[in-house]
Amino acid sequence: MTAQIELTNVNKYYGAYHALKDIELSIRKGSFTALVGPSGCGKSTLLRSLAGLENISSGTLKIAGEVMNAVPPRKRDVAMVFQSYALYPHMTVEENLTYSLRIKGVAKAERKKAANEVAAVTGLTHLLGRYPRELSGGQRQRVAMSRAIIRHPKAFLFDEPLSNLDAALRVHMRKEIRALHDRLGATSVYVTHDQVEAMTMADHVVIMRDGVIEQQGSPLELYDRPANKFVAGFIGSPAMNFLPAIGGQDGRSIILDLGLKQTIALGRTVQPGQALSIGLRPEHIELAAPGEGILSAPVALVESTGATCFLTMATTPELSVVFNGRSVARAGDRAGLNFVPGSMHLFDAETERRLPG
Amino acid sequence: MKRFLSSMIDGRGFDIGLVSLPLAFLLTLSGLPLLYNIVMSFQEVDMFSLGSFWRPFVGLKNYRDLFAQPETWPILANTATFVAASIAGQFLVGFGLALFFWTSFPGASWLRGLFLVSWVMPGLVVGAIWNWILSGDFGVLNFILRETGLIDGNIFWRSDPGFSLWAVIIANIWLGTSFNMILLSVGLSAIPRDLYEASELDGANVWQRFWTITLPMMRSSIGAIMALGLIFTLQQFDLFAAITSGGPNNASNVTQYWAWDLSFRQYDFAKGATISVIMIAFVMVASVVYVRSTRHEVRG
Ligand SMILES: Nc1ncnc2c1ncn2[C@@H]1O[C@H](COP(=O)(O)OP(=O)(O)O)[C@@H](O)[C@H]1O
Ligand SMILES: [Mg+2]
Repeated sequence: MTAQIELTNVNKYYGAYHALKDIELSIRKGSFTALVGPSGCGKSTLLRSLAGLENISSGTLKIAGEVMNAVPPRKRDVAMVFQSYALYPHMTVEENLTYSLRIKGVAKAERKKAANEVAAVTGLTHLLGRYPRELSGGQRQRVAMSRAIIRHPKAFLFDEPLSNLDAALRVHMRKEIRALHDRLGATSVYVTHDQVEAMTMADHVVIMRDGVIEQQGSPLELYDRPANKFVAGFIGSPAMNFLPAIGGQDGRSIILDLGLKQTIALGRTVQPGQALSIGLRPEHIELAAPGEGILSAPVALVESTGATCFLTMATTPELSVVFNGRSVARAGDRAGLNFVPGSMHLFDAETERRLPG
Repeated sequence: MKRFLSSMIDGRGFDIGLVSLPLAFLLTLSGLPLLYNIVMSFQEVDMFSLGSFWRPFVGLKNYRDLFAQPETWPILANTATFVAASIAGQFLVGFGLALFFWTSFPGASWLRGLFLVSWVMPGLVVGAIWNWILSGDFGVLNFILRETGLIDGNIFWRSDPGFSLWAVIIANIWLGTSFNMILLSVGLSAIPRDLYEASELDGANVWQRFWTITLPMMRSSIGAIMALGLIFTLQQFDLFAAITSGGPNNASNVTQYWAWDLSFRQYDFAKGATISVIMIAFVMVASVVYVRSTRHEVRG
């Protein structure tokens, strides 16, 4: 495994504000890494530090094996796609694409050839003569991407590149960006606040909160084994249910507290009397006939998209359930619930960390 | 009547009302005098016909007479020098300052505000201050130039025919710099920061960023400031009155001062009007440049 980008013990301060805390991150060459987290958690700061637009306060940043801490952006050989696209408004699409080549002193004929090649890949050929103001949002996005592609940089950095597009186009561009990444064999770092984007696009997902990396790993690792309640609640849609519980006296069960107490046997041991938070994904709860199942509760709300059905159960706290198909239960009915075996995530109620084992 | 009233309140009538008021104001106070001035340049005007509008028309005689006078061409040349040097100086110093304050060091906006002081000062006051600075015997400028070894003897800025025009130009550059700086600062701050970041990542160094991003993005601001500069320098009168009075022997005389001198000191209103008409032609060209450059904004 060769690391294209390596951060060791990186910290970043804005004055007294500690924006990045002890970041350890290794980005494999050719991988697609997503930085995801709620707004203000430091994703952009981290990405801009990679680009050199922000200077890190301490730690080491290496790109392709070289220490880059004090290297100015123009010598880092990384390309960035901005959320605002940052297209040069006074230049045509072709001039935008070839700007970096012009700066490098590449001859005009060669620049034109390069622009045509990239435009053919990204579908901009017929727009080369236009100005950015004459383009739609999606087209501008493509220009921003092409401007990065033409450089064959050591890494592509994306800062929420799709957030200004409408939902349908976003889904489409998601696939397109990933396909381009694979085709170019590029190394990409992709910032987003949308966990679906991160999960669907990336090989490696880094989840941040308040300047700290909470967990990193492959999308399914994060889904299957979230390290704490924050990650568990952030990944997955609709969000995971958290139910208060305490460890049973026999050490092999838990007592759920959903208004009324309910004992559930476990395939593992817990400390008797330990305060727990049980994580259960909505898709891991199944509907059973009334009176059957592990527990029974009234249905508060039924929402259906046709293909998928979202149920909210009138328990405290509320439980959400999602399944494919149509619901036979209606609001007000009682329904039985079963949990998919092995789908319960156990967190310490105090530390919010996943119980080991 | 009712329809008229309701259109005044929420229809096109309101718009027309809003526009017509300043238009009427402009027409009476600027348009009519302008026309009157043009008419007068084709008439024979003397002290006795001054009060009447219907005076004998003489065709282009005033223009022919004017260009037959020996001082006309030198004064026109002075005006060209004054305008070109003032605009160039104001722009270069103003742009330099705008770029300097744009780096936003602590206290930058505060200091920039202080520069506006020069702009709120009346030209006559500025002229009086520069009279001291430029004074031949005990002026600060001469002192500095002498101490730095740039000159040996004193320069008599205001009375030496070789320097008198430049004395006014220096004062005018000082007077107009802050206006240039403010307008160019506004233009600079309207350039999105991420363009610089993008261009930096694309490999451009400071100079390349200036030539490929800053200057082209400032094109409309620069066009506007040049056109306004031409208009303002052609209007500059106070400094001439305060510093050199056009002398010695017309060495620092310019059309705007000369027009006033002809009309109101020599009472040759026809020639004064004729010069003004020539100046109007230049200002018209500047206005067209100004309108075009503000229309061709490249933003977004
Ligand atoms: N230039 C700056 N000066 C001071 N604080 C900043 C600056 N840039 C970002 N921050 C702060 O750092 C935190 C992280 O910001 P950012 O990286 O932009 O978050 P996001 O994850 O939404 O991209 C925020 O709290 C923000 O207010
Ligand atoms: Mg951000």
